[in-house]
Amino acid sequence: MMWRDTGLTLILSLILSVVAKGARQTPPGKPKVTSCRSPEKETFTCWWEVGSDGGLPTTYSLFYRKENSETLYECPDYKTAGNNTCFFNKNDTSIWVNYNITVVATNALGSNTSDPFDVDVAYIVKPHPPEKLTVAVLEDKDYPFLRVLWEPPRKADTRSGWITLIYEIRVKLEDAEEWEISRLIRPGNILPVFNCPILVHPAGQQKMFNIFSLHSGGFYMVQVRCKPDHGFWSEWSTTRSVKVPDYIHRNRSVWLLMAILSAFIFLILTWIINMNRNSLKQCLLPPVPGPKIKGFDKQLLKNGKSEEVFNALVVNGFPPRSTDYEDLLVEYLEVYVSEEQELALDGKDLQSIGCLKSKSPSDSDSGRGSCDSHTLLMEKCGVMEPKEESSYEEPELQQAQAGNWVSLDRGESWVDSPNTSNGQVNTKPLVFSMLIHGSSNNQYHTSPELPKQHTVPDNVFPTTPYHPNPEYMDCPGKCNQYHLSQSLSAGAHQLQNPNDFNVPCLEGQSEAMGLGLPHSRSMEYVEVQKVNQENQLVLKPLSSHSHGPFQPLLVEAGEDYSKVNGVNKDNVLLLQRKRVMAEASQSCDHQVKEVECKQQQGKTDTHRSVTTQLQESMCPTTSGYVDTASMMLTF
Amino acid sequence: MNKNRALHGCVFLLLWPFHGTTESTVECENPDSTRCSISLEKLLDRAIQHAELIYLVSEDSLSLFEEMFIPFHVQTPLTQTGNVCTTSTLSIPTSRSEVQENSDKWLLHSILFLIKFWIDPVINLQTSLSRYDNAPMALINKTKWISSKLINLEQGVTILIQKMLGEGAIRLDQSNESLADYPVHSDMFESVLRDYTLLACFKKDTHKMETFLKLLKCRRTGGLGCSFL
Repeated sequence: MMWRDTGLTLILSLILSVVAKGARQTPPGKPKVTSCRSPEKETFTCWWEVGSDGGLPTTYSLFYRKENSETLYECPDYKTAGNNTCFFNKNDTSIWVNYNITVVATNALGSNTSDPFDVDVAYIVKPHPPEKLTVAVLEDKDYPFLRVLWEPPRKADTRSGWITLIYEIRVKLEDAEEWEISRLIRPGNILPVFNCPILVHPAGQQKMFNIFSLHSGGFYMVQVRCKPDHGFWSEWSTTRSVKVPDYIHRNRSVWLLMAILSAFIFLILTWIINMNRNSLKQCLLPPVPGPKIKGFDKQLLKNGKSEEVFNALVVNGFPPRSTDYEDLLVEYLEVYVSEEQELALDGKDLQSIGCLKSKSPSDSDSGRGSCDSHTLLMEKCGVMEPKEESSYEEPELQQAQAGNWVSLDRGESWVDSPNTSNGQVNTKPLVFSMLIHGSSNNQYHTSPELPKQHTVPDNVFPTTPYHPNPEYMDCPGKCNQYHLSQSLSAGAHQLQNPNDFNVPCLEGQSEAMGLGLPHSRSMEYVEVQKVNQENQLVLKPLSSHSHGPFQPLLVEAGEDYSKVNGVNKDNVLLLQRKRVMAEASQSCDHQVKEVECKQQQGKTDTHRSVTTQLQESMCPTTSGYVDTASMMLTF
Repeated sequence: MNKNRALHGCVFLLLWPFHGTTESTVECENPDSTRCSISLEKLLDRAIQHAELIYLVSEDSLSLFEEMFIPFHVQTPLTQTGNVCTTSTLSIPTSRSEVQENSDKWLLHSILFLIKFWIDPVINLQTSLSRYDNAPMALINKTKWISSKLINLEQGVTILIQKMLGEGAIRLDQSNESLADYPVHSDMFESVLRDYTLLACFKKDTHKMETFLKLLKCRRTGGLGCSFL
């Protein structure tokens, strides 16, 4: 009910007013001063609004009173500011006093006065908007920014400081809905830091402001307005638009790219590492090898009792004793021959064989050192006797297999060339055969003869334990060999010195050689009669005196052999000129000379040639010789 | 009636946002009186602002004038003499002790006197400057500005006197001294020297005005910056 009544009254009043409007005339309605504004604090303008005019032409007039004064003044200027305005010029404006303003509406029927309106000029300042707004796009290290320039309104006296204005800028992208308002910009005399609310006056009254962080390629609209300390904001200035060129946030994009790339790489690396987890673990953190000490027990160590641990380490095999070394020794042969001392070499070679035990592999003198000393050699030989046998057997057998025998074929004494490539060995068979022959003779010759005959061959032959004579047992052949060689090198006089020790060795040698003999062909033995001054063995055949084990061999040899008288230093056999089966007590020194053998026309022919050659020799003896070297070549 | 009141109340609430548009900018000391007047502190502040500005502009004008017309050898003798200005003969408190001793009435009257004294010379200065051939426009504009502001300040001080002292329109003893005491010299150099002297003296007096006004303010409010007074 209540609402219905109010609604009805409203509707009725509206209707009435409309009707009454056209129906009757009334005094004007009450006007109202809407606002008064001063643009520069020197003049001001007031606006009023009219009420109803009452159907009659109504005039409006503005009256004002100054503070504490009853004098009523009327508005000096109604026209300047437009309709329903009153403009107060400079003379009429005073900041010292308040104005009391009223507007009176008057028509024929009456008048109506508005409510008074008090004005304090200092507080109604509303400046004009800033002027000459310009916006420009500038670059600062590849970053564009907006530079906004403007001037304060012309009327406002900011120069003297009469009015101090503060500014405000608003920016908007073209397609954005809302404006972005900057903070209050207070002009000052301090130079600006970027975007600080302090401006510098670039040119006179010009104010400046920079806007950063722009969108590349954006279309910006800028506006500015101002306000005094106590007053109202001005209207927004006219809009200025500018387009920001396209640019790339280089730093940001680059860093972003790098960050993404590094993250990607990091992910890949972690994935790879994850896949190869085990192998990496193996590589970086290899398993710690356990202790490989013999007898080291980890458990004992963990138990913490050091004594037990160390006791466990004691192994019977440590430290190694000296007796074990002998097992580690390696037996070997060292063969050495020098061309200068043929016989000596041979002797030495045999010595070397015999002196195996007493020398070391690194010994430079090939074990001769131990053999140099007579007494020492004897001792060593005696000690190592059983072992020497085994060692000696090998070379003997080797030599035998090699065919290093001086074989006499049909009265010709010639020597089979040894199969071994070792040149050193070549000389051996000559000596061996000679010695064999000589040694066989030794057995049967009287002792006084022996010293002459047997000294030389004694050196050559390897010793063997086969000594029928107890004398022979004492000294192996090698000793004799050595001495013999030495005596040979020294000179003939040395050879003349008989050595009792030498004798048995020779025999042994001969026996030893006799063992090797079955491999050889039929051969004839020669007896070394003497060694001449030129170190030449003087041999004579022993075929007539052959006894003992060598005899059957000799008997088998039904061929003619030339008897070797000796071997000179040129490795040439000195053979007897004629083949004489009977003992030839005569010995003859023959100079050996290289004689090229003629073509073999047969054994007999060669023999003849040889004999002819022999005949040419200077030696008138019946003994003949053949150049073994040449013989060897031809055969 | 309750309905009406409720209706009025609703309308009032609806119209409340529009209240601010027709605000009265005047702060009323006496809510009872129909007219509100500007408070004394505000008046003093404005007067002080006026005086400060006038002083600044007069300082600029003097420097401009010196640059244009006065050679260097003349400047120092002029500033050293202090008593060239005619106003020194007036009974105006010059020393600080004198100022502090005197009452507000004295101060206000002194200020008013100074202002009234200088209004005409400044106008004459404008005329004199316009006669120069090469007087800069800035200088002329400044002098115009000064003259207008002086008049304004005069009004303000008058009102101040009325409000502070409760006196009516005060008729000060008209000083016999006028611009007639400053003879117009046909000689250029003399007029220049005269103008220069005038500007210098004016600058000093405006500074006096400013100081007096600030003193008055500090006496009344006792705010910051009053320790020197």
